Amino acid sequence: MSRSLKKGPYIHPKLLKKIEEMNRRGERRVIKTWSRASVIFPQMVGHTIAVHDGRRHVPIYITEQMVGHRLGEFVPTRTFRGHIVKEKKTGRR
Amino acid sequence: MKGKGKRRTPRYLAVGRIIAPHGIRGEVEVDIHTDFPERFTPGAHVLAGEGKAPLVIESVRPYRKRLLIKFREIPDRTRAETWRGAWLHVPVEEAWPLQEDEYYEYQIVGMDVWTEDGEYLGHVDHIIYTGANDVYVIVGPEGEILIPAIKDVIREIDVEEGRMVVHLLPGLR
Repeated sequence: MSRSLKKGPYIHPKLLKKIEEMNRRGERRVIKTWSRASVIFPQMVGHTIAVHDGRRHVPIYITEQMVGHRLGEFVPTRTFRGHIVKEKKTGRR
Repeated sequence: MKGKGKRRTPRYLAVGRIIAPHGIRGEVEVDIHTDFPERFTPGAHVLAGEGKAPLVIESVRPYRKRLLIKFREIPDRTRAETWRGAWLHVPVEEAWPLQEDEYYEYQIVGMDVWTEDGEYLGHVDHIIYTGANDVYVIVGPEGEILIPAIKDVIREIDVEEGRMVVHLLPGLR
């Protein structure tokens, strides 16, 4: 059964409080959270949030396209590192 | 600790892997291991297996999340069976051209990382591909530091020197 619309999307209250406090101060720092189930709110856009992957906090930069998804969707909990060097690109966003 | 990261340019880059033969005409199912699947076009060549045997692509068609490729050198299913599990490579000189601010994984892994203030943080051990930005895992004297690959943080990348300069946002370590 889906979540009641009356409640609105879930977010850990302390996380939302920290984000709103940073927005008020115009501050930019990385916030650590264990709350992978929290939904990404528009207030979070432009912030970097370090989401726990079960072992460590992985910093992700929140963009507009991520709003409405949950934080945990962007941080994998399982990693596989092979030995083959692949034609795989990386870079600054 | 400085310069401890092992950076070396590989001779070949893996672009795919033959999973299994498909049908009786020598087509093979290929798992894509490149960010540029458009490189699989008729007439293109790849190097297959340990011996890096050259194979020329005759035809390509999509199949589920993979490709069905017919190579000129594989005429039937019996020959296709012998290539099961073989990796497909391209020489590093033939790597697909990248845009500005894009790098290959092998160019970044092993790079020495410094802060803007000249503090040595360690070397890039590996990269985590998240659904958002990539994350560089830096291993150094302070242990592991995870750095998001975003413009606010990564200030400078010098591939020739194997050096990266970062701005550590508060809370990153």
